[in-house]
Amino acid sequence: MSKSLMIVDDSATMRKIIMKTVRMSGLEFDRTEEAGNGAEALEKLKSAAVDIVLCDINMPEMNGVEFVKQARQMDCSKNTKIIMVSTESGQDLIDNLISSGANGYITKPFTPERFQEKLTPFMN
Amino acid sequence: MLEQMTMEQTILDAAREVFETMIFMDIESAGSEPQETSPEGAALMGSITFRGGLEGCLTICLSEACARSIAANMLGMDSGDQLSLSEVGDAVGEVANMTMGSIKHRIQNTYNDLQVSIPTVVSGRQLFPMPGEDFTRGQVCTTLDEIFPVTFSMYYKQAQS
Repeated sequence: MSKSLMIVDDSATMRKIIMKTVRMSGLEFDRTEEAGNGAEALEKLKSAAVDIVLCDINMPEMNGVEFVKQARQMDCSKNTKIIMVSTESGQDLIDNLISSGANGYITKPFTPERFQEKLTPFMN
Repeated sequence: MLEQMTMEQTILDAAREVFETMIFMDIESAGSEPQETSPEGAALMGSITFRGGLEGCLTICLSEACARSIAANMLGMDSGDQLSLSEVGDAVGEVANMTMGSIKHRIQNTYNDLQVSIPTVVSGRQLFPMPGEDFTRGQVCTTLDEIFPVTFSMYYKQAQS
């Protein structure tokens, strides 16, 4: 089944690193998108929804927490799986993100195996 | 407040986690005396600030050649020669970001309220941080792949209540 992925991070280099690591994990996507912050990601989702979003938290303009809240209020992304990817590892923050609508959490630094573990349940 | 030696070991452990997990370069303590400036020649300095029960900043200082090597490894490239300085700086910023994230995780039992900024990176020569007064400095001088010197410095103080 074809799947689509969006990577949201203010660092273009980190977006490339995440993409490389996803490929190394063995997971395949037919379409991939990138966005530099939450606001840009929301605009892209309105144009074309994706199946999975990998989203940083600390970003200028609109951070990952606000992105999750707003994405969950949009019809086009209500079924999108949102996995946060961040150096933040506080349990309170993770709990808050999950209750806001995030579907998972990956802590930086990360490995291909970690992406495989967290994304595989959403690939079927 | 955390002892300086404890903080330096925490910095080294955090840096090792980042370099071994995502950059695939060997990092070892160089055990050298504290340094005031960056390596000779073109250099980059990534820094990230934090506040909460503890406040201050973490900096990573390294040569441009070293930064290019790190960026190439992070991106899975054979060489970093083709990368722009902006891309190389981005990679250094992420190293600072991930190292600070790992430090934060390691000291969260003592300081569970640290808020971390977005990293900034500057390039130039003779770079050194100017943290202001009253900060304790934890500094770890390391060697990457037995070639490149990389210095991690953490300036920190207990927040005033």
